[in-house]
Amino acid sequence: MAVKEAVKDTEAKTAADGGTLIGKRIPKMDAPMKASGKTRYIHDINLPGQLHAKILRSARVHARIKKIDTSKAKALPGVHAVITAADVPNQHPIGVAKDHLPLKTDRVRSLRDEIAAVAADSVEIAEEALKLIEVEYEDLPILSDPRDSLKANAPLIHPEPHGADGTHDHLKQGMPIAYTGKKDNIAMTFDYAQGDMAQGKAESDIIVEDCFSLHYVTHCCMGVSGVIAEFDSSGNLLLYSNTQVPFLHRREFADLLGIDPGRIRIIQPPIGGGFGSKLDIYPFEPIAIYLARITKRPVKLVFSREEEFVASPTRQPVLLRLRSGCKKDGTLTFREVDTIHDNGAYTSWGATTPFVMMQTISSLYRVPHCSYHTKAVYTNNPYAGSFRGYGNLQATFAVEAHMDRMAEAVGMDPLAFRLKNAQEPGEVTPQGMNFKSCGFKDCLTTAAEHGDYERKHRDNATKWNDPNPIKRGVGMASMLHVGGGAKIYQSDGCGTILKIDDFAHVTLITGASEIGQGSETVLSQLVCEELGLPLSAVTVVNNDTDITPWDVGVHASRTTFIAGNSAIGAARKAKSKILGMAAAKFDTTAEALDLRGGFVIDKASGKRLVDLSKMIRSLHFSDKAELVMTTFYYEPPSRHQDREFKGDVSAAYAWASQVIEVEVDTKTGIVKIVKVSAAHDVGRVLNRLGIEGQVEGGIVMGQGYALTEDLMVENGTIRNPNFRDYKLVTAPEIPEMDISFIESMDGEGPQGAKGVGEAPAICVAAAVANAIYNATGVRMTELPFTPERVYRALHGKAAPMTWSDAE
Amino acid sequence: MSTIQHYAAPRSLEEAADLLRQGNVTVLAGGTDLMPQSKAGKLKFQPVLMNIRNVEGLRGLTETGGVLRIGATTTITDLYDSDLVKSRLAALWQACDHFASDQIRNAGTIGGNICNASPAGDTLVPLLVLNARVVLAAKPNGALTQRVVPLREFFVGPGKVRREPSELVAAVEIDMPPPGFVSAFFKFGTRPALDISTISIGFGAVYEGGKLRDVRVAFGAVAPTPIRAPHVEAALEGKPLNEETIVAACDAAGQDARPISDVRASDWYRREMVRNMLERMLNNVRNG
Ligand SMILES: Cc1cc2nc3c(=O)[nH]c(=O)nc-3n(C[C@H](O)[C@H](O)[C@H](O)COP(=O)(O)OP(=O)(O)OC[C@H]3O[C@@H](n4cnc5c(N)ncnc54)[C@H](O)[C@@H]3O)c2cc1C
Repeated sequence: MAVKEAVKDTEAKTAADGGTLIGKRIPKMDAPMKASGKTRYIHDINLPGQLHAKILRSARVHARIKKIDTSKAKALPGVHAVITAADVPNQHPIGVAKDHLPLKTDRVRSLRDEIAAVAADSVEIAEEALKLIEVEYEDLPILSDPRDSLKANAPLIHPEPHGADGTHDHLKQGMPIAYTGKKDNIAMTFDYAQGDMAQGKAESDIIVEDCFSLHYVTHCCMGVSGVIAEFDSSGNLLLYSNTQVPFLHRREFADLLGIDPGRIRIIQPPIGGGFGSKLDIYPFEPIAIYLARITKRPVKLVFSREEEFVASPTRQPVLLRLRSGCKKDGTLTFREVDTIHDNGAYTSWGATTPFVMMQTISSLYRVPHCSYHTKAVYTNNPYAGSFRGYGNLQATFAVEAHMDRMAEAVGMDPLAFRLKNAQEPGEVTPQGMNFKSCGFKDCLTTAAEHGDYERKHRDNATKWNDPNPIKRGVGMASMLHVGGGAKIYQSDGCGTILKIDDFAHVTLITGASEIGQGSETVLSQLVCEELGLPLSAVTVVNNDTDITPWDVGVHASRTTFIAGNSAIGAARKAKSKILGMAAAKFDTTAEALDLRGGFVIDKASGKRLVDLSKMIRSLHFSDKAELVMTTFYYEPPSRHQDREFKGDVSAAYAWASQVIEVEVDTKTGIVKIVKVSAAHDVGRVLNRLGIEGQVEGGIVMGQGYALTEDLMVENGTIRNPNFRDYKLVTAPEIPEMDISFIESMDGEGPQGAKGVGEAPAICVAAAVANAIYNATGVRMTELPFTPERVYRALHGKAAPMTWSDAE
Repeated sequence: MSTIQHYAAPRSLEEAADLLRQGNVTVLAGGTDLMPQSKAGKLKFQPVLMNIRNVEGLRGLTETGGVLRIGATTTITDLYDSDLVKSRLAALWQACDHFASDQIRNAGTIGGNICNASPAGDTLVPLLVLNARVVLAAKPNGALTQRVVPLREFFVGPGKVRREPSELVAAVEIDMPPPGFVSAFFKFGTRPALDISTISIGFGAVYEGGKLRDVRVAFGAVAPTPIRAPHVEAALEGKPLNEETIVAACDAAGQDARPISDVRASDWYRREMVRNMLERMLNNVRNG
């Protein structure tokens, strides 16, 4: 009720005074349904005749499969199908490097590996059937550290060539790795350079080197992975899917099945969180499709929580070495980065995080000379996908902790050192990014002021040797991230179809997916702003590929910016059509008219000329008989990176600085975040309530990354696949937050706005590391800062990583 | 697929004991250990599932003649809400305060906490400090009998207790502590709520004229069962609570604690925490 009242309240004001919706606090349109438990997630959807699927995963980390016997499982009453790779000849490889067959043929490479799958009348029967499948393994040596995988005589993870069905036939050059194998354990490499490193080093008065080790965390979406697959009698495939990229997936599934993409329809039920986890195809999806094809029944496959921990992607773990130089006055001269990415057994988006990492490394600050190298290395560990921030939590953690170390080395205050090197509006970086709007310096000074940074930073450092075991510290960190889409695919666009019916009700059909981030609300708001209508006049349709126009997907903080501009485009076309007709009717010009409060008004006097719905009806039921329906396609003016990773991939860039205050108990190692002062350059605030939620939630996610969340992988095995031992931040741990928005009014952004989805999570770990140092004089280089790890470091019992280990 | 064939919800202790004697019974109290353990495949249900929450007289606290009897189905919330517990059994009350979350405290019972016998069970440490006794009921030959076992002797190992399958834990008994008795509980976890103890410490003693008497110290999560710490107790008994005593007690803790390494912490860290937190607790007692 309260939510509804609040909506009405905002609307009433807007309708009455003809004011704006922009910057108001607008509750999310889907909130009442979610809050009252009425939202129907994929779990709640059950199709007539539907079967339930379960997957048998490997019992070994790395082994040859000698034999699989499914006969007992097939004989269990209620079982409709049991499949292994042998039942699906010519499997199509999936994943970013096409090194991954959904059902494993002759070997398993990690504990998540799919060996067989069952479709049965109930989940319980399917689970029972899994227990009846007998698999004979022959163990192979386990590689659980990428540094071991790089050693000269390391066993290969993707060794000998094998065909789609496990045989050695039909091997051709240029075939996917899943068929041909790979002669080393290096999945991918990335090499980037700008300027002249020798010159940069020569100009340096001070050089600082640091090594950092970044861990596994996972998304922990409340809505676990799931899919329902169904073929109709003509062989068309309908998928109910939690995907974040329906249009890309339609194409991939078509390739997989060898059918026309037009025959695949994807419907997204409301998605219980994505955070990047649903950007790739994972084996469970093709497996559900295979089972549906074989059984000719709808097949539903939804993960258990434990399965979600074991078999959904993680954030990319990284070992990183960073060297930078600066002059005596603090001017940065060069930066040199090497990373080893633990690729896990297969390649998904995690391996490609260098795209984002190198932007932070080359362009958060002005660094004339720069080099960056990544090796993504196969191991028998879980594999990483994309995850809110996409490598930027890792890169920013390293760069911003390192910046504090450099500031200390050169004898400058960390804020002053950052301000000296910070980017400004109008700059084009050597990597090619064009910072048309840039509120970085405002972010720095605002966060510092709200967090009382300079004074506290000075004072805390004098108390390291005080007898009080409880210490206080402040730390700061800043970030740069794409804020106007990201041109990774051929297109970074989004389409909109807009119709206004006889009652002036708007249906906004957008390609943009809602994953809980509030896109429906913000898009409606932008449309209402153009058409002078209350939010209640809009229905959003956004989840069916047979209806919605193309969109590249919900990722890269792009939806408000890209889909927003697209929605505005469609609304403006509708408006101009309506005003054109009204001008004829009232014998004036379109420019003299406007839409406000549900009426066509005279712009100059504000006088209401005609009710909008009446205007539309008179058009519809006339000799001309026209409807108001428009389409718009927005493609941002950004440029792909070239082969050297240079380009201007986003139409706008977002900035933020966060000052974090911590309390460290030196007798336990417990670090408590006391306060976060965040300043975010968001272009412009559209929905104040929505953006506050986005920033607060992101900070908490960053807090989990910094302090509590740790997917413990030991010898390829996850030790804590449950919420008891995988520690998400709980409500009482959430700190006080003081959030400021810097409104740089981006020229290309919808109403001046830029993307903010990923930004708030990015700075936290670095700021906390800097704060711990400020509190104790001890520098943490390995995440997360759990009590034991901090305690060890405080008592000289930690062995920090050195790069010689990695060479 | 479930193995439960019969569900029973007896209303009296007699009825419950009868069912237990017939055998093959899983006792269900709050279910907060039972359900997750069965889901994780760590526990297999017997054919009869017996819910004891309807058994009359099994829930609540009664004090008679200086002995407090806490019924087995008394929930953690009941204990937390009890003025008597709060005012006179501080260590037990503090354990309830740091126990799980509201939802779990509303369902979880003291009997379940005892029978589950986790080394990290939070009420067990203060109950050891309070010299609690377990009251077991059974009906071996037609008549209800009771057996009383000191809690200290009740635990055998993780999840293992000295209870016959035909016995029901009916209650816990505590002799109300003497005047001047102070007690405290410290739970070390990584977050304020919903955490399993990495280590825990219970302390109780009569503190008069700067000296400690009737000292009882117990540790959780540093051995296969919750334990009393005899070396620490000896180091404190009859001593003035000063710097020197505290150092001696903390040194002695190393002889009592035998922790292991697991997902929550290493054995080294657990030893350090026992030491540091015992020091902090004793200083708190000293400073009032
Ligand atoms: C999310 C979560 C958080 C938790 N946090 C904590 C925590 O912070 N601290 C902590 O100590 N524990 C915690 N626990 C464990 C659990 O809540 C406690 O051990 C609780 O006291 C168990 O009581 P119950 O009544 O639910 O036991 P049940 O689950 O009903 O029973 C536990 C065991 O005892 C047996 N049993 C129960 N009562 C009797 C009886 N009267 N006679 C004989 N046998 C009996 C049952 O057969 C079963 O084997 C947590 C559990 C969960 C799920």
